[in-house]
Amino acid sequence: MRFFLPLLLAGIASAQAQLSWDQPSQKFDRSPEDRAVEARYTFRNAGAQPVTIKSLRSSCGCTTARLEKKTYGPGEKGEVTLNFKFGDRKGLYRKTVTVNTDDKTAEPLVLNLIVDIHDPLTFAPALVWWRRGEAAAAKSVAVNAAPGERVAITGVSSNSPGFTARLLTAQAGQKYEVVVTPADTAAKGTAEIKVQTDFPADAPRAYTIHARVK
Amino acid sequence: MTRDRPSVLGRALRQTAILLAVALLPAIVSGALQLGWAAAEPLAPGEVRSATVHEWGEKVQWVDARPRDKFEAGHLPGALLLNEDEWTKLVPAFLDAWDPDRPVVVYCDGGSCEASHAVARRLREELKLGEIYVLKGGLAEWSEK
Repeated sequence: MRFFLPLLLAGIASAQAQLSWDQPSQKFDRSPEDRAVEARYTFRNAGAQPVTIKSLRSSCGCTTARLEKKTYGPGEKGEVTLNFKFGDRKGLYRKTVTVNTDDKTAEPLVLNLIVDIHDPLTFAPALVWWRRGEAAAAKSVAVNAAPGERVAITGVSSNSPGFTARLLTAQAGQKYEVVVTPADTAAKGTAEIKVQTDFPADAPRAYTIHARVK
Repeated sequence: MTRDRPSVLGRALRQTAILLAVALLPAIVSGALQLGWAAAEPLAPGEVRSATVHEWGEKVQWVDARPRDKFEAGHLPGALLLNEDEWTKLVPAFLDAWDPDRPVVVYCDGGSCEASHAVARRLREELKLGEIYVLKGGLAEWSEK
């Protein structure tokens, strides 16, 4: 017993040396213009021993993790800052950072960063193309606003005389059709069709539909 | 006594051979199973093995889904840079080079290749392109072949 008691106590002390996280999983809603999101994950050393954070391993090069210092005494608070540069991403993304400490009794902790980058307009498809020699018939792109949201298209224009673009309104603010027609398909051709909207009001977005003759 | 010697020797050799076979059997079975498992490791939807891409040869159109700095430090011959960081800027150049009769294989460094799958998904869903694949294991797997 005299031999096992110190080992037992050491074991208990070790098991208590742990980081307690306030919100290890966080979700953010962002618009495409934001380009990045920064999230702070606060923790406290709830154990009786100092804890050293040995590494922060990110699931993606687009997400960086920052830590002010590595070792935290009992009761001490700290913070890990995650920065996700989402660039031109759209939709729902989940990024993780794994926290490894010198506490051998604790499993590595995974910090979750969930970001919904919401774009109210969808283009189906965002590319129209023709094979060389194919009939130069018009092809359509359906443009729809997300349910409950209103985005008006104010104009469409082609950057190439080899393609024309026409806007058809099915339901203003909700459903449109962009009709693209190549002048001919005898040779390779390329155009970007600019789709101008009125959303958001302070800096309206323009989107691109791609047209190619291959 | 002299007549018995060959039969004793023969019996000893047979028993040795049997013992060796019994001893080696688990190793042979284990090795075969491991090789079998490695070959049969399932592909995620849209993935392609590097052995298959090698068979396709030069008709493959490579897409590098890594960040620009990694692409500029080195990439597969003929690869086009296309990632989600600069999607809007990079898509027109990709489409100019895109050939509908060549399969597109997207790669990243290795591991789960999250970036490759994201780029491949957008090529399929937003641009409705066919024949889009992700290189299983990424560059790490390709370099080993």
